[in-house]
Amino acid sequence: MTDRFQYPNDREARSAARAKALESLLIEKGIINATTVDTVLKVFETKMGPFNGAKIVARAWVDPAFKQRLVADAPAAIAEMTDLPEGMAGAEGEHMRAVANGEGVHNLVICTLCSCYPWPVLGLPPYWYKDPTFRSRAAREPRAVLKEFGLDVPSATEVKVWDSSAQIRWFVIPERPAGTEGMSESELAALVTPESMMGVAVANAA
Amino acid sequence: MLTQFEQYAVTSMMGAGDTPPRANGTLCFASEWERSAFGVALALARDGHFEWEDFRRNLIAAIGDWERAETSHTPDWNYYEQWLAALEATMLQHGLATPEELAARTDAAAA
Repeated sequence: MTDRFQYPNDREARSAARAKALESLLIEKGIINATTVDTVLKVFETKMGPFNGAKIVARAWVDPAFKQRLVADAPAAIAEMTDLPEGMAGAEGEHMRAVANGEGVHNLVICTLCSCYPWPVLGLPPYWYKDPTFRSRAAREPRAVLKEFGLDVPSATEVKVWDSSAQIRWFVIPERPAGTEGMSESELAALVTPESMMGVAVANAA
Repeated sequence: MLTQFEQYAVTSMMGAGDTPPRANGTLCFASEWERSAFGVALALARDGHFEWEDFRRNLIAAIGDWERAETSHTPDWNYYEQWLAALEATMLQHGLATPEELAARTDAAAA
């Protein structure tokens, strides 16, 4: 609110003071409370925890033959896994197909219907996945949309867009991050996010 | 259908000039104050203290002002500085604070 800060270094300090000022003022007035910000952010920051898709991807990372079978016939490969809850291959899982990211190829899954998200694998869908604007833009200008998600795909890498439908529900096998050679399958599973299995993010070593 | 206000609000900005920065698919904050400003704005709109569109109009205006201010010492772009300016403006417009209150608090917080 004041212009007494002379140097660019002070911009951070000034912004921090302004944010702190308005938050504390709103708390004092009883308009928000001390935990409000954390509650809002929890909506965006909550980790999904170990979800089924992560276990499937981690298996594919450690077992190239499983990965091949997963790409060839996802429901059959998933049925091999004994540590998944029953019904994984059923319901919305039955028409699942996997596409693998790799050298020069990045896959992005979209969905032009509302009900074709592979629920058993990925858990709850992020809201934007069902947003009509996201879907139509992702089909038309996938690189621009990925950039908006904070993912710069090199121009030499081909972006393939897969449109899920009532017949086929796609998911992405992201690339195994570098530097994870010594990790166990369950440690690897913790690196897989729902976003990476939709192709709007990559899996990173933690 | 999942209709959490927080998700709706952020999704509604995608594809527009005021969409928040993301890194590898998720929202990213460079510092704690950015996170606070983000959370306070969403909470106030969610709880009905102003309409989300009122805040967005101010955010788009703040971004527009920054883009038009082509001087030799235009500061580096920081999305959440515009967000903060828009949040202050929206709070003032809706009587959630007075300019004097904000100025005094900011000075105290900076001291």
